[in-house]
Amino acid sequence: MALIETVGLTKHFGSVKALEKLDLSVEPGIIGLVGANGAGKSTLLKILLGLLAPTSGSASVLGMDSVRETRAIRHVVGYMPEHDCLPPDVGATDFVTHMARISGLPRTAARERTAEVLRHVGLYEERYRQIGGYSTGMKQRVKLAQALVHDPKVLLLDEPTNGLDPTGRDEMLDLIKRTGTDFGITVVVASHLLGEIEQVCTFLLAIDGGHLLQAAPISFFTQRTPVLAVEVEEGADRLAAAISARGARAQLYGPGVLVAIESDAIYDAVRDAVADLALPLVRIQQERGRLEDLFRDAAPTAGSPQ
Amino acid sequence: MTARNPAASSATGSIYDLGYRHYEGKRNGRAYAMWSLFVEGFRGVWGFGRPMTAKAAPFILAGLYALPAAIQLAFSSTISSRVTASDQMDLFAYGNYFQRLSFFLILFCVAQAPELVCRDQRYQVLPLYFTRAMGRSEYALARLGSLASAIFLLLLVPTAGLFVGDVLMKPDTFKAIGDELPKALPSLPANALVSVCLASLSLAISSFSPRRAYSAIGIVAYMLLMEAIPAAIYSVGQNAGWDWADKLFALTPITSLIGGVFWFFGEPLTRQDFNGSLTSGEYLAAALGSFVVATAVLLFRYRRMPA
Repeated sequence: MALIETVGLTKHFGSVKALEKLDLSVEPGIIGLVGANGAGKSTLLKILLGLLAPTSGSASVLGMDSVRETRAIRHVVGYMPEHDCLPPDVGATDFVTHMARISGLPRTAARERTAEVLRHVGLYEERYRQIGGYSTGMKQRVKLAQALVHDPKVLLLDEPTNGLDPTGRDEMLDLIKRTGTDFGITVVVASHLLGEIEQVCTFLLAIDGGHLLQAAPISFFTQRTPVLAVEVEEGADRLAAAISARGARAQLYGPGVLVAIESDAIYDAVRDAVADLALPLVRIQQERGRLEDLFRDAAPTAGSPQ
Repeated sequence: MTARNPAASSATGSIYDLGYRHYEGKRNGRAYAMWSLFVEGFRGVWGFGRPMTAKAAPFILAGLYALPAAIQLAFSSTISSRVTASDQMDLFAYGNYFQRLSFFLILFCVAQAPELVCRDQRYQVLPLYFTRAMGRSEYALARLGSLASAIFLLLLVPTAGLFVGDVLMKPDTFKAIGDELPKALPSLPANALVSVCLASLSLAISSFSPRRAYSAIGIVAYMLLMEAIPAAIYSVGQNAGWDWADKLFALTPITSLIGGVFWFFGEPLTRQDFNGSLTSGEYLAAALGSFVVATAVLLFRYRRMPA
């Protein structure tokens, strides 16, 4: 059974098209949901949670429809919103316990789970202090804790590293990774930072302008199959056609062409193609496929990692 | 956890590796979630689970509301031996206590209704509730229940005080309980009426703003204006001969509650306190109507609340 499935999912806010005929099918794992700000990541998460109703199409989580079986979904899903969501005048323990009880955990179980989860996210003595006095990193941990406290099967995290310094970010990513791999909880991480997604995720969903750009295991993007970047001053499109004609996989990108190096013959093919077309060659460079390539043309606003 | 040194572990982060246990235990349903929210809200109204400063306003106002009953109790106990027909001299009785001290009660609503609903909006806690097994209407009703029961408790204290005082002052305690109980009992439904009406009204107004100050101003403005406008129209109407003008008193939030309370005690309305010709039964109906409308507005507001 697919973890998350959407069929023709469309959401319009007035004239703004947040999601446009999105078809997805995602298997369990740590799933990165990448896109620029406004690409529709949060909208997708909110539809999955039943907070928003889709304009058309349907979405399901663990086979449960997001509109008709909202309540059943919410029992098995934990949600960490992008924005601040913590009242400042209570302690983390009290707050997370309260949220556990709202999720249906009996009083003692709620307390035990809270202690366990707060320890798990790395909050110790300070958990009795009022949340208002916490650093951003600690607040993010509390937000994660409240999403985990009822032991969900699926965790939806919206920009979990927002506002964190590099150390805090690494710790949060590590936490997410362990949540996904060690605890067997499927995690969906929405982020506009590709570098983060690369670090922790096993599967990548890239959306842009409400459309699905790419959905594939992360290894597909960062696999070791080297890529040759051939940069020319002009005629990149002709070059791409010529290389393709010689039986190599070539793809236009920026000022040049990316060619998958599937065998040594590729080098010859590139050389011959450039020579035949007499193109002004700038450089030929071997690269590993990187995630940003996805967005280099599609979404120039997507933040680059580091 | 006890086996490790927390300080050393948190420095390296190795304390994370304690293993995660899945929760296999019982999970309760919606009623339990609502009950939990109700309890949290009730405690929150009184400032429990919050810093000491949060307890100041509710307890001071509740104290002020009960103070006259305590004073009357103290005075009458010192002079009771000389006064036999103490009922005649009671400034504060079950029936008129709310009428005389409604001001403090309104202040209580102004201070604590925003505490319940504005906080969750302001700090954006609502999405956390709405992504759990908590419906929007359930949230609104649990909050209403919290405030209504807090107000009910607040009303109960002076009522109980008056009752105990009156009973203890009589020579024959058991006979006194028998005499006093029928007089005191209408307080319970009357207090319940006041609680649910004021709670629904102030929460409905509060829910429209995430800012406490605006909510508070909104409640005060509504209460004052809706008292003043019908009175103004009525006084104009008396000269102009508008015989419908006194029906507008049904719109007043406080006056209609006072009138409704009198209905439970079966006391006639004095023209000194009540202008117009509305009977206590009509005021009661008006108060119940305002409860229904305010609750509907509250539910509607939460149905539309963006999360």
